[in-house]
Amino acid sequence: MQTTLLHTDPTIQLALLAVLIPFAVALVNLFLVKNQSKVSGWLGTLAILISFVLSAVVFSRVWNVGDLHSQWLWFTAGKLQVGAGVWLNNLSVLMLLLVTGIALPVHIYSIAYMQGDEKYSRYFAYLGFFCFAMLGLVVVDNLLLLYMFWELVGFASYLLIGFWFTREKAVQANKKAFIMNRIGDVALLSGILILYADFHTFNMVTLFDNHATAAFVNAADSTWITLPGICFLIGAMAKSAQFPLHTWLPDAMEGPTSISALIHAATMVAAGIFLLGRVYVMFSPDVLTLMACIGCFTAFMAATIALTQNDLKRILAYSTISQLGFMMMAMGVGAYSSGLLHLATHAFFKCLLFLAAGVIIHQMQHLKDEHQLDIDAQDINNMGGMRKGMPVTFVTCVVASLALIGFPFTSGCLSKDGIMVQAFYWAEGKSWPHFIVPVTALLTSLLTIFYISRLLFKVFFGEAKIKEMVPNLKTVGHDGGWLFSLPMIFLALCSLFPLFSFHPFDYSEAWIVQGFGIAVKAAGSISYETLVALTVNIFGIAIVYLAYTLYISRSRAIKQSGFLFKLSYHEWYIDWFYHRVIIKDVLRIGSVLSWVDRNIFDGIIHLFGSVSIFIGKITAWIDKYLIDGFINLLVTVVKQAGNFVRGFQTGRVQAYLLSMLLLIVVIYVLKTFM
Amino acid sequence: MNILSLIIFIPILFGLIILVLPAGLRYIYRSVTLCATLLQLGLSIWLYVQFKTGAGFAGVNHEGQYQFVEKFHWIALNLGAMGKMQIDYFVGVDGISIMLLLMSSVVMVVAALASWEINKNHKGYFALFLLLDMAITGVFCSLDFFLFYIFYELMLLPLYFLIGIWGGAKREYAAIKFFLFTLFGSVFMLLVMVGLYFSVKDPATGYHTFNIIQMMNPANYDKDSIFGFIGTHMLLGMPARTVGFITLFIAFAIKIPVVPLHTWLPDAHVEAPTPVSIILAGVLLKVGGYGMIRICFGIFPEVATHGAFWIGLLGMISILYGAFNALAQRDLKRLIAYSSISHMGFVLLGIASQTAEGLSGAMMQMVSHGFLSSMLFFLVGVIYYRVHDRDIYSFRGLSNLMPKYTVFIMIAFFASLGLPGFSAFIGELFSLIGAFNSQTANGLLPTWMAMGASVGILLGAGYFLWTLQRMFFGELKIKGGQVWKLALVDISTREMLVLVPLSILTLALGLMPSLVFAKINDSVLAFVQFIHVN
Repeated sequence: MQTTLLHTDPTIQLALLAVLIPFAVALVNLFLVKNQSKVSGWLGTLAILISFVLSAVVFSRVWNVGDLHSQWLWFTAGKLQVGAGVWLNNLSVLMLLLVTGIALPVHIYSIAYMQGDEKYSRYFAYLGFFCFAMLGLVVVDNLLLLYMFWELVGFASYLLIGFWFTREKAVQANKKAFIMNRIGDVALLSGILILYADFHTFNMVTLFDNHATAAFVNAADSTWITLPGICFLIGAMAKSAQFPLHTWLPDAMEGPTSISALIHAATMVAAGIFLLGRVYVMFSPDVLTLMACIGCFTAFMAATIALTQNDLKRILAYSTISQLGFMMMAMGVGAYSSGLLHLATHAFFKCLLFLAAGVIIHQMQHLKDEHQLDIDAQDINNMGGMRKGMPVTFVTCVVASLALIGFPFTSGCLSKDGIMVQAFYWAEGKSWPHFIVPVTALLTSLLTIFYISRLLFKVFFGEAKIKEMVPNLKTVGHDGGWLFSLPMIFLALCSLFPLFSFHPFDYSEAWIVQGFGIAVKAAGSISYETLVALTVNIFGIAIVYLAYTLYISRSRAIKQSGFLFKLSYHEWYIDWFYHRVIIKDVLRIGSVLSWVDRNIFDGIIHLFGSVSIFIGKITAWIDKYLIDGFINLLVTVVKQAGNFVRGFQTGRVQAYLLSMLLLIVVIYVLKTFM
Repeated sequence: MNILSLIIFIPILFGLIILVLPAGLRYIYRSVTLCATLLQLGLSIWLYVQFKTGAGFAGVNHEGQYQFVEKFHWIALNLGAMGKMQIDYFVGVDGISIMLLLMSSVVMVVAALASWEINKNHKGYFALFLLLDMAITGVFCSLDFFLFYIFYELMLLPLYFLIGIWGGAKREYAAIKFFLFTLFGSVFMLLVMVGLYFSVKDPATGYHTFNIIQMMNPANYDKDSIFGFIGTHMLLGMPARTVGFITLFIAFAIKIPVVPLHTWLPDAHVEAPTPVSIILAGVLLKVGGYGMIRICFGIFPEVATHGAFWIGLLGMISILYGAFNALAQRDLKRLIAYSSISHMGFVLLGIASQTAEGLSGAMMQMVSHGFLSSMLFFLVGVIYYRVHDRDIYSFRGLSNLMPKYTVFIMIAFFASLGLPGFSAFIGELFSLIGAFNSQTANGLLPTWMAMGASVGILLGAGYFLWTLQRMFFGELKIKGGQVWKLALVDISTREMLVLVPLSILTLALGLMPSLVFAKINDSVLAFVQFIHVN
């Protein structure tokens, strides 16, 4: 690969166009298009379509052909020359295609979904900006620019999560999302700056291109590699909603559902995994193990929470966290290619699930308004029997759910099984605690089957709960227009195996895996492929049946008071802990320091002032009574002496003669007797 | 009279016009003031464009490399055997001052536009305003310590009256606190200045001199003078040069302000009328940062290197302390005042790192904070002028009532909390790069200090977003009911005229940092080299 100038390489220019067009259109929507104008939706969609086509062209020219890098000088500060540039490799062109490929159906869906909203144009402006930030993130070649787009992605999500800003919950959620992400940002920034202090460059091609691995391998002091590695990991954990920084994601559903679909699939949370992929060579074995453990734990924890939630979007949100945990774990165990494959497959089926959820909630909201019911439109306990009225939604939802659990012939089967198999190979040959990771992952995938079955049964099967409230209701919901259905059908087709591999079972045949080529080699004694596939499928059927008995035939019931149920229902009390302990303590530090400011620092100043005034008063007293007193005393003495002497000045001659005589007598007496 | 002197003295010229205009014309005083500041801005822009860059124009410790220099003998006293006491009128700019000069001209225009709301004693107000303008501009241009000191002290007088007469409820207290605090610093600065005078000799004439640039050259110090480089003079049990540095440091640290010398700031900012808050936050704090670089670090570089750890620590403490305090405030103006302390901490941290990146970051942060704090205080003024309340809890859901205003508040808040694309991001980023890099580059600041400072970025997001959520989003609910609803009209054209250019400026500097860096680079490199040579 060689670095080229911008104007010499048409592919780079196309990639730049693909990034910038959504931004340009976002600006047009923001400033030029009238609010609520229908134009903005079509304009936004057209922009993302062009962007998608350009991405496809770029993809075809770069994928497995060769990296491209182009750079120009942005600014110079001191001796540091900061460049801005584009670095296209397999990973970034795949992401280009994925982001635009997901954003396109979301745009089309949004045209219908946001119809009639007060800030329709504003929505498409934000959406375009969101896509721009994410697309920028995946192509830049420089850590500073990466950080900039990283933050802009967060900012765009802030705008969109709080899109309906009159809702108190929405603005709480977007604040939470931004601040949680800021924790990751600070860590990421620290990591970038520590790397800069070591290597004196922000250029990612120099740092992370496969040929540059030597720089990290030969680095003398390993803590200076591990430390930035951990910083980058924390950054990715915040963006990709990994424990303990995951709590913003379930709340982020306060935004429009179409935005949730985008955030959960391809833009926001994908950024963290992308970052790990982009800088993969810098992670030391310790950091990778940490990554695997965090991913595995998050996957498990989120899956257990999803078991008992009642809010449709919340279940899906925890499902996303769980799947992101799988990807993080894949990165950690060295299943780099499978992790990215899962990122791609997950993007399609999760986006689809959210879009379907959007349609369902839309219908429920509609029913709620029509019959003036006092229900939560997102609560799955109020749904049921929706498969009759909404066949398209039902079928696509089932496809997506099968993909989520890794059912054969779906894309999820390729990616998820691949991750678990490689996790086993990773643990093989290491000490036994390493096996906790793949075993937990396997367990998690069984939990996944349960919660998604529960969701499907409660929403689509059985009798509509709403009919109990409105007895004369005929059908519950309908699919909506083609603007809803088309994107969902497209995404459902993309959730099947042929898009990713011609072989429906062997993950190593998938073109994405082959394109990256980093995988854990099969060197084990047991064929984990068979083990994983058998476990998932055999237990899977049993679990689906269990869910069926619980929620449809109701031949069993769950005790809703056990500790485990409560733990799961209250989301492991993590948010509770944050609110009660961390936020409270930070605010307490604030008020304590404010008290210190008012009473100690200002107190010292006031004390200083009071002491000065006191000293001033003492000096004033001294001035008045001692110094002035002394002067007054002198004056009095002189005055009294004067008065005394004045007594002699009577003006009578006899008196003068008397005094003269007395004087003479005195002198005479003194002269004679002394 | 060269262009620099013209920029300095234009305000006083217009001030005289205001003084002779009859009181019946009091409503054109503000236009006259605006004209003065606009003229000044125009000339500053011309200066900026004409400012030459290159290693030959670095300035710093080479008198010949300064630009737009004007120098003549001002006060000359023949002291017989003690030689000749000579004070020069000596002004000029280099990369360290040019951006601050331009920034302060912009802030002055903003302040002039904000002065529209002044409604008592117009003549006094605008005359003092222009006097302050002159003094501030003079400080950034003076290269003679005596002249610098005169301008520096001259700033206090108008500020004292501007706060004390046109301020809020506790104005007298705030004005006196501000005055005494600053005076406390500058009185001791006077002693150091005199000490330096008697230590330094102009090699050309052989007489003592107040020339700052000559004070930067160790060769100009008398062998056994009090501040001589190789001297062994002790003051208070410490080397005299250390004492001199600490004294100057305290004087400028009060201005910046550095915790724990900051308590004048929240009171002064809160009680001052909007335009004066703008000047205080926008320009006055930068006088501290500028003095720190040019005088404190410039004249005592080896002591600065020695004490870099402690200076950096103070910077980090200011960042965190200011941010935590901001979290606890419920008066919007006070919150912004504390956020200023936090943001100026990055300036100190950047300077302390003594790397080119850190120093560039500090300069950028000063320029950026000049624009952003003006914008923030102006925005607070908008609300306060309408309903005379600034309590965060008196408002909720303001975006329903004032959508345009909310857009600007969001720009100002997000820019201040360091969103990439805005100038504050570049400033804080480079200060932090300097701090992180210091460990390997010169070993002055440990990495944990830089990491601690980056937590300030997180807290910044906390208090700004919390305020946004509490005041602007959610359902409309305001304390004053219907009366307030009518009073809280969205921003006017005049207010737009202030806010739009400021937003564009902060965005432009964030996207094209070279607007600043290109002009200051040579000076920054020369300065870092100068510090390390000594």
